[in-house]
Amino acid sequence: MLIFEPHIHMYSRITDDYERMALAGIRAVLEPAFWLGQNRTNVGSFVDYFDTLIGWERFRSQQFGIHHFCTMGLNPREANDDRVNQAVMEILPRYLEKDSVLGVGEIGLDDQTPKEEKFLSLQLALAKKHDLPVLIHTPHRDKKKGFLRCIDLVKESGVPMHRVLLDHGNEETIKITRETGCWQGFSIYPNTKMDPHRMVQIVLEYGVERVIVNSAADWGVSDPLMVPRTATKLEQAGVPRARIEELVWKNPIGFFAQSGRIDESALQRPANSNLRETFEGNSVLRGQDPDRV
Amino acid sequence: MNAPIDLLRARISDAAPWISDQDAQIRVDRRHLAVAFPQLPRKVSRSQLGSGVTALGPAQCDLDGWRRCDAAAAILLLQCKATDAELVDLYAHGDLEERAMLLRSLAVLPLSAGTASLLLEVQRTNMVLHLEAAICDSDLLVRVAEAKLTGFGQNDVDRLMLKLAFLDLPLKRVFSAQRLANVELSRMLSDLATEREAAGRPVWRDTDRMLALAPVPGTIARILGGLEHGDDGRRLAAAEALLLLARPELRVFAAERAPREPRPEIRALLQRVHG
Repeated sequence: MLIFEPHIHMYSRITDDYERMALAGIRAVLEPAFWLGQNRTNVGSFVDYFDTLIGWERFRSQQFGIHHFCTMGLNPREANDDRVNQAVMEILPRYLEKDSVLGVGEIGLDDQTPKEEKFLSLQLALAKKHDLPVLIHTPHRDKKKGFLRCIDLVKESGVPMHRVLLDHGNEETIKITRETGCWQGFSIYPNTKMDPHRMVQIVLEYGVERVIVNSAADWGVSDPLMVPRTATKLEQAGVPRARIEELVWKNPIGFFAQSGRIDESALQRPANSNLRETFEGNSVLRGQDPDRV
Repeated sequence: MNAPIDLLRARISDAAPWISDQDAQIRVDRRHLAVAFPQLPRKVSRSQLGSGVTALGPAQCDLDGWRRCDAAAAILLLQCKATDAELVDLYAHGDLEERAMLLRSLAVLPLSAGTASLLLEVQRTNMVLHLEAAICDSDLLVRVAEAKLTGFGQNDVDRLMLKLAFLDLPLKRVFSAQRLANVELSRMLSDLATEREAAGRPVWRDTDRMLALAPVPGTIARILGGLEHGDDGRRLAAAEALLLLARPELRVFAAERAPREPRPEIRALLQRVHG
């Protein structure tokens, strides 16, 4: 079964992860631009990071046959930081037109401050202008209120709900989101957020329509194989394979295909893999046997 | 002689309205160039342009290696009169495909300090896609070398040729590359070949062809050894190199090899050498 991992921060993962993911059937990943664990002090750091997402990380991913896409945006944590927030808004338009950028994200609310709301609204307007779907990060604290506020701001923006993915949901938030028409993301973690067993219960109760699962793996304790692990648990629970395939492949593609920038048939083949190439002279491929993979 | 922009426009006339609209927006706000450029493959398509080697102003380009979006990129950059700073910025913040379009466009843009800067960047990369876009399927490298651009010297030309060998790309894809031969480049190529042989790795098949144009110590032995190589391509290159050397004292080696040479085209070359 092919898997589209729709939220993972490969920037903070190692090549072993890519290899294990490829072997587990992950054919494509989407990497939302995010907070790097500490605030950046100038816009140049964002420029370098965005360039990494459209260049180096794509190159790394392709070495393992995995298609790499991303979303671009100013994350809510740094929306609060006046050293960078306005300047990032000024550089976003050029990045939102890059071919591998499938949406605006992850944007949203974290501490739920007025500045976070301001920059969420500004970026929802950018999404309309660039005709892109939106990946919204929801707060980890006071989550229910944060979900409701995100939904209000989306409605105010005029972005249609079917072009919005509200991420990091749980058993409580699905009761709010399932009637709105938006897509509902669930991040499956080893310890926090959701786990595979709880996700199975959600699927058994609510089905898979407009539901998306991801690992949200990053630099913390997380597992880039959480989507295939969840798929296995679903199969063991008796969920038909067609429904599981819808959840881990068709749904994420369906949501991000609203960008007009991906083609499912192209994803049926592995990404170009040429282990003789290096990137900008970077010799990361040293010692590899180009014909082994 | 028609201007390159007119020739390219004629090839993708259906894209003209979109390109003109982008150009108009760029004239209002130059920052729009960076927004328009990544849209080219989506708006104009990635399908092949085609029609073989074509004169585009002073440039010779093989348009079979171009796509419609490459042509549109060249038109847009010419139309909006992109500055050197803008070209470098598009490369620095472009994705892999944008960089390829930009580099392919260099063949038809005016030679400038921007051309030099971008070729120096390409010399650092090992991305086959980008080296091909920059120096293959056109005579750009020869024109740049002969224009003696500031900041781009003979050593830079040599290093690009060495990169061509390093990545095993065919010599014939750099148009008129024989004009780039010099003894320093031959030394570099000989050293690369020796290093590859010591490591048990393949040697660039075109090595002998370049060495014969500017021989250095060891060149003759390498070419004569190539006549016995098990790879047809290496033997063909060695036979061509022997012909280029035109040394009467080497005819005996061609005469000795020719009757044993299984490939007719190589045998014919050897027979020309020994007359």
